[in-house]
This record gives sequence, structure tokens and C-alpha cells, in this order.
Amino acid sequence: MKISVKDAETGNRISMEVDDDNTIEEIIEEAANYWRKNPGAYVIRFGKKILQAENTVKEARLQEEDVIELIPDPEGGKCFQKICL
Amino acid sequence: MAIRVGENDMDIYSRMKLYDWYDIKKVKNKKILVAGAGALGNEVSKNLILSGYENITIVDMDYIVHSNLSRCIFFKRKDANLHRKKAEVIAERLVEINPDAKIRYYVDKIESLDVKNYDIVLGCLDNIASRLYLNSNCYFYHIPYIDGATHGLIGKVQVVIPPETSCLQCGMNATHSKFLEKRFSCTGKNVKYFEPNMPSDINTTSIIAAIQVQEALKITHGMKNYIKNIFYYDGNRNFFSILQLPINPKCPNHNK
Repeated sequence: MKISVKDAETGNRISMEVDDDNTIEEIIEEAANYWRKNPGAYVIRFGKKILQAENTVKEARLQEEDVIELIPDPEGGKCFQKICL
Repeated sequence: MAIRVGENDMDIYSRMKLYDWYDIKKVKNKKILVAGAGALGNEVSKNLILSGYENITIVDMDYIVHSNLSRCIFFKRKDANLHRKKAEVIAERLVEINPDAKIRYYVDKIESLDVKNYDIVLGCLDNIASRLYLNSNCYFYHIPYIDGATHGLIGKVQVVIPPETSCLQCGMNATHSKFLEKRFSCTGKNVKYFEPNMPSDINTTSIIAAIQVQEALKITHGMKNYIKNIFYYDGNRNFFSILQLPINPKCPNHNK
């Protein structure tokens, strides 16, 4: 089935073909790679819910034409961040 | 009994006491741990002391540099010149605001502290590894954990009330793990650092810190209307939302 994934940071949207047994984790990785997102943590929001990564499309109850959103999961908070590459 | 004109203005918390739910004794007696003394840690500490908390411990191992000064209310140029420790300086400035407060500080890694000595823990950190450490320890000891985080104009507050709510680990996925691995590799040689393109922003930081302390006040008073589970703020798109994060049955913190 086809769903839409929206990039919360840019507003861009892609159409994604998914199977019932695809996981949310796979969708996150696919979308993040497609948009070449900066290194960082992301989660999928569906309405008012954060979808759990291990859940499948079926378990998350996604349906044809649903729109889900890739949102950054902030991890900062200090003012002098050092991140190792 | 006679009252004196202006007497009410002599009480620092007279206005707070006008809230029918506010109990200054409860607030004063709560043992609060602030983990991280950066941008969020400054704002959270400021709001805690102004809200009446007097038993506050701050832990951070960093020292102050000039680039901190645009985002940290308690840090001054002379502190940066002397490379003073962040936790020590915040502790000192909090006592200036309330000399009755018992403020402790540790210049150390968060992992060196025993969280079971505290009633509420506020996470003001900049990395996933320390967050997960606090999260799992707080969950184990059933201590409320209020995690704040920012990313440019985006921020979130997650309220973890063990065993009732989901925890930080419940929302993790492979993108978090990749980030985590990168930090762990810091122990090796040939390490590269870079300043991320999304530094913390004082306005977003203030919003997130204020929500963290507001949630601490609710928990202190036993209120049940705390955020379930994540307050998500997006300053780029001018909205905030309360997002639910169900308990993940496979989460190690919930499987014990």
C-alpha cells in the first residue's frame, strides 16, 4: 500500500510503498536516507502518537494514503555540544 | 491579630501562595537533581529557585567558555575567562538569589551520582548515553524523570513517571543508536569533534526549561495532569503538540 511521509523540517513529502510487515524503523531509515538528513535522531509521528520503531505497518495500523511525519528527536540542551564523528 | 501594611510584600513566595494548590513546604523539601549545567541547566535552575525549591543538586563536568554567555543567564565574562566550572557557578548564583537554599554541586559525570537520593530528576543533557543512564536508573528506583532537549528551534519535554508511563528507551530506534555509537567512539584516538549546525537557542531553551519546571511543580504536588508523554515544540512551524508514546513491551526497563 502507499502512504505519504512528510519531512517536518522542510515540509517535503514523499510517497512510499510499504508492506504490512515493514517496520517503522525501516520507514525512518528509508526516509532519512532519501532526504540525506543530517546525523541525528528521528522519530515518526502519526497524528498525536509517536510510532514505535519495532512495530510493523500493520501493528501501527497504518492504512492506504495515511500521512506520517518524520520529526527530529532533539538531543541537545547544553550550549557547548561536542559530537564525535 | 493585627497585620502590618506591606507585610505581604515581605514574603518572597506570597504571590505563589495565591495558587490554591501551591504548598511551599512540599516545594522546599523536594530533593531535586539537575543533570547538566548548560543552556537548559541554567534556565531550569533559575526557574526552580524562583519557584521555591531550596534543595537542589547540580551535576556537570564542563567549564564555561565565552560562547556559553549568549544562552546562560548565570554565566559572566569573568567566569569564562577563568574557565570556571558550570555546576559550581550556577550553585553560587542560586544561593545569591535565595541564601536559605541548600545547593550542592558535583563537577563530575552524571554516572557518578546515585539518583536514588533524589525525589525528582531533571535532565538537561546533550547526549543520548547520559539520558539513557538517567532514564533507566530513575525507572528502576521509581523516581520521576523530566527530560528536556532542544535542536535549534525545536524542543521537547518527556515526562517519565515510573511505572505508569513509557520511558525514553521506549521511543528509541536505529537513528538514536547510530548517534549513541558515535559518542562512544570518543574514547579512541584520532577523534574529530565538530560543532553541530543546530546550536541551542535561548528562546527555545527557555520554553523547554519552563515546561520542565512546571511539570516538576505538578509532580511535587501530586497532581495527575502532568504531560503524557511528550511536549513537542516546533518554533519553525509555530506549533506545539502533546504526543503520546505508549509503553514498549520490549523495552528493557519495562521487562524487569
